Amino acid sequence: MRHTRLPIRQIAFIQILAMLFLACAPLMAQADMVSTDSVVAEQKLDHDRDELKSMLQKQEVQQTLERMGVSQEQVEQRINSLTPQELADFNQQLAEAPTGESVVGVIAFFVFVFIVTDMLCATNIFSFVRCIN
Amino acid sequence: MRHQHLLLRPLHQLALVAAALILGGCAANHEWPEKREGSGARPEHRTLEDIPFHAQDAYQCGPAALSTMLNARDIPATPDELVDRVYLPERGGTLQVEMVSAARERGLLVYPLEGSLDALMQEIAAGNPVLVMQNLALEWWPQWHFAVVIGYDREASEVILHTDTRRAHAEPMRPFMNSWKRADYWARVMVPPDQLPATAQPLPWLSAASDLEATGQLEAARRAYKTALTEWPDEPAPRFGLGNVAYAMDRPGPALTHFQQLTRTHPQMAPAWNNLTVLLSEQGCAIAARRVHDCARKTLGDEAELPERPALRETRRATTACPIIRCPER
Repeated sequence: MRHTRLPIRQIAFIQILAMLFLACAPLMAQADMVSTDSVVAEQKLDHDRDELKSMLQKQEVQQTLERMGVSQEQVEQRINSLTPQELADFNQQLAEAPTGESVVGVIAFFVFVFIVTDMLCATNIFSFVRCIN
Repeated sequence: MRHQHLLLRPLHQLALVAAALILGGCAANHEWPEKREGSGARPEHRTLEDIPFHAQDAYQCGPAALSTMLNARDIPATPDELVDRVYLPERGGTLQVEMVSAARERGLLVYPLEGSLDALMQEIAAGNPVLVMQNLALEWWPQWHFAVVIGYDREASEVILHTDTRRAHAEPMRPFMNSWKRADYWARVMVPPDQLPATAQPLPWLSAASDLEATGQLEAARRAYKTALTEWPDEPAPRFGLGNVAYAMDRPGPALTHFQQLTRTHPQMAPAWNNLTVLLSEQGCAIAARRVHDCARKTLGDEAELPERPALRETRRATTACPIIRCPER
């Protein structure tokens, strides 16, 4: 009896150990340090988004967009899904546009964004824009 | 960049006149910025007298302009020495990125200036020469050129440049602005990393500092982050950069201090928690690393992206004193 029982315990013990190691295996993967440039890039992205959204807060802009049947939520959603490059480009275009910060410039920008996204099938706001797919 | 632009001049002036007649209102109407009183006031005219000048050889405005910029910071350089570094013979010119990286190699921080006359005036008034790119010809027939702005005169409406073979050449403001505009208002200030440009904003400065870090100029990057921390103490990125630089310099102690402090001042900053966890694990502080991970989870919530919870394996003896971690209070 004694001779048969002891090995079972030992085997069980070894198996438990083995299972522990298995469970731990994925945790061995080394995590990496996050680089400074990725943090700065992320901050810049937030900054660009906030800048665009702050323009959206202007009442004239909201009124005009409303008249065009575009809700503020739609626009904000759209801004959130712009890539960093698109955001930076748009911000730069806005800054350089002769109308500058004027309402016309901002609205022209949003209409432009929506026409592009309509074309890419991401939104469907302007019925005259046919989606590419 | 090419010397022949001097020969083409009458031709493009003619073309410009023709284009202006056809396009009418399309040309940008450049004006001097409004005069300001008090602290925002700019001098009426200013020329940086002690900026060395290098006349360019054929095609080589890049090396000439760059040596001017370097000499202005007491870094010895001549166009001849820089030709091999920045000049591409088969292209007959120099790329902007080469100008920037060559300056960075010498420990300078290359700050992208906002493309406006006002920014230009502020930098000159602060004693910083500005490297600019111009397109001396037309959009569809470009004639690229590098020059260094060393002054301006509002009264005479002129911008003063070290350009091609002309020292302190006074160029009328409007044609200068038009040629600069055709090069997308490309402009860079090159400063020692502990000297902020007059128009410095946190994000472009930090981005330029992280470029120094990424290219291995760790000491310069460290100084740049320190400068930023003093100027913008509420920004998290300067301290984050200091932590990463200390880590890269193999100084785990200071790195630990920086990341730990960040998790206190900016508890919502996930990368700070991440780097603190990684650093502690690498230092053999497994218990502290797990504790940090738990704190991060508690502070940032379940959705936050965090690395795996560090394994509890004290195989390596701790190389630094492992800190006692307390989670930030909510």
